Amino acid sequence: MAPLDTAWLAMTVVLAVPILLAAGGELVSQRSGVMNVGLEGMMLFGAFFGFFTVERTGSTWLGLLAGVAAGTALAVVMALLAVTLRADQIVVGVGINLLAAGVTIFLNRQLYLDAGQVTVDRMARLPIPLLADLPLVGPVLFDQSPVVYLCYAIVPVTAWALYRRRWGLAVRGSGELPEAVETAGINVNRVRWGAVLIAGGLAGLGGAFLSVAQVGLFIEGMTGGRGFLALAAVVFGKWHPRGMVLACLLFGGADALQLRLQNAETIPPVVWLAAVAVAVVFLVLRLRRGGARAGWVLGVVAAAFAAPLVLGISLSLPAQLWLALPYILSLAALAGLVGRARVPSALAEPFDRRAL
Amino acid sequence: MMSDRIRGLLIAWAVSIGAVVTALLASLVVVALAGSSPAEAAQALFDGAFGSTNRTAAMLAKAVPLTLAALGWVLAFSARRINVGLEGQILAGGAVAATIGLLVGGVPAALHLPLLVLGGIAGGALWAGIAAWLWVKRDVNEIIATLLLNLIMVQAVSWLVSGPLEEPTHTLGQTEPIAATARWPVLIPGTVLHWDLLLVPLLAVGLSFFLRGTTAGFRLRATGANPAFAAYSGIRTARVSALALVASGGIAGLAGASLIGATPQANMADNFSANYGFEGIVVALLARNSPLGCIPAAFLFASLKQGGGLLEARAGVPSGLVLVTQGLVIILVAGAGYLFERRRTRRVTAKAPSQPLPSEAPASDPTR
Repeated sequence: MAPLDTAWLAMTVVLAVPILLAAGGELVSQRSGVMNVGLEGMMLFGAFFGFFTVERTGSTWLGLLAGVAAGTALAVVMALLAVTLRADQIVVGVGINLLAAGVTIFLNRQLYLDAGQVTVDRMARLPIPLLADLPLVGPVLFDQSPVVYLCYAIVPVTAWALYRRRWGLAVRGSGELPEAVETAGINVNRVRWGAVLIAGGLAGLGGAFLSVAQVGLFIEGMTGGRGFLALAAVVFGKWHPRGMVLACLLFGGADALQLRLQNAETIPPVVWLAAVAVAVVFLVLRLRRGGARAGWVLGVVAAAFAAPLVLGISLSLPAQLWLALPYILSLAALAGLVGRARVPSALAEPFDRRAL
Repeated sequence: MMSDRIRGLLIAWAVSIGAVVTALLASLVVVALAGSSPAEAAQALFDGAFGSTNRTAAMLAKAVPLTLAALGWVLAFSARRINVGLEGQILAGGAVAATIGLLVGGVPAALHLPLLVLGGIAGGALWAGIAAWLWVKRDVNEIIATLLLNLIMVQAVSWLVSGPLEEPTHTLGQTEPIAATARWPVLIPGTVLHWDLLLVPLLAVGLSFFLRGTTAGFRLRATGANPAFAAYSGIRTARVSALALVASGGIAGLAGASLIGATPQANMADNFSANYGFEGIVVALLARNSPLGCIPAAFLFASLKQGGGLLEARAGVPSGLVLVTQGLVIILVAGAGYLFERRRTRRVTAKAPSQPLPSEAPASDPTR
């Protein structure tokens, strides 16, 4: 199982965590009706200020906290403009991305460029006693950075609150039928403010995880589209926590595979086999739920993947296809090929309580 | 009515200019805080864009894709479709244009250049067409679809320039220069300014006339202002909106063709779209979605982009500052829209309890 081993699984978790953190916040924000395109900028902010704080204070935990604060600070700008002032959410998001890219490039060159590449000690891994010794599960899930464990807690708690708490009901209502929520005496825009701040804080934490825990340095534009991946994960997960987590793991796994296969000339048969297996699982699930048409589409996809294997050809796929795959899959999910996705009705629509 | 409109326009201009001035001042404060001289930075920024014929020409060359991207946004937005996919459509148009420029040979320039231009338009329109199709047939939110299509196109271009279209040595990650017959001719010899500059006034005036002076343009604006009413009066709104999105992509694709065929290196490299697609949105916002307003707004942003180069070299101020300024402009203009919208809604509701009009409502005067 050369490329698909324990190390690959562990890498999958590491690569999925920053996306998962950002996506978890974005899920809350989108369910409340605010499409936060500025996620990439918030992650970048978190990455820079997280690194900066660690470099100055030497404390990794302070760095992570600073990352959360930096992401939240941008989220305040987003909420003020897009919620209170009812500006176009997309435009504000684009502005935040430009601003964050500019500020981090400016500060990075101003502070660090003359000094050469400044690095800090990466956050140490923290194997959990007993659990880390379990076969397979141990090294994959329980021999990771503390932030990963934090993520294990944050995502389920968010999902639970979203579906089992009054707050969650208000959030989901604000994204579906804000008028009804407002009529029930809940301030929609206050709910949205909270949701946007959560998205910013978690995106900042995800960004800080990249710079502080994963590599221990800051590189301009180091988030490399992970904010957009998180957006795609929310879409691919059809605005549900479980789907979103699966999407993040899928994206993380594909990314880890791509990193491992970077030097390989061809895609080994194991990978093909795994891809076919994933497709077949989806296929079975779909057929059981009676989505016959979607089932056929997936059947064809699975056959296409299986064909080179049967024919004994080792195909060489460009790495770019792997990198684009998450977005292609998300688009397919949106188009209803993998079951119908329901977008929150009031997504990207500012709410004006005076118009009620 | 007329004086109202003029007043609205004046306020709009005041807001845009105010936002730019505030953003620039804030950036200069940042420079001062960073320990550099703001005067020197401002001088460098100005010299970078206007210091010599060459630099001004380079600034004008940058204004071309900026204006086109902005016009693409304006066209889609007139039908209230949000096209965040301009960046991907620029890449798609450029990729088709580069392919035509590289693989089609032995044709006279009179045929090759139009082919390149049409290829660019077709590429952009096709890429936007996917989003339009998904929106019409599958009810897919076009904001998300165009955003995802951007990210897919980035990878597609990366594959093209490091795979099938890479130059023979396979080391540079870019294509060879396209055939000389496919390139836009140079407008001012010795500079990087090409004849595609002509597209700017042509398309801006054309779009302005289309939106305000033709039936199709009226249908488009009516669809954007009030889809339910437009549909009731017999306009096929889904079709109109989808076509607006496709045409918007076509204009962006044209910008892509310019980035391939109207540059000195005349080749395709990774990320040749250089954020023009997103900056185009800022330009359109600054112009308050007026096609003619896009021209001065684009020149302003092109000056910033061009001047930023000298900023780093001469004043030692990181060029990231230009991005900061752009981001601030967006945020200020977007925030100022509030004051505006409020005043207008109040006035409209005072007259008649009609539909609250979105700011810069295209169908504010359907009787003309």
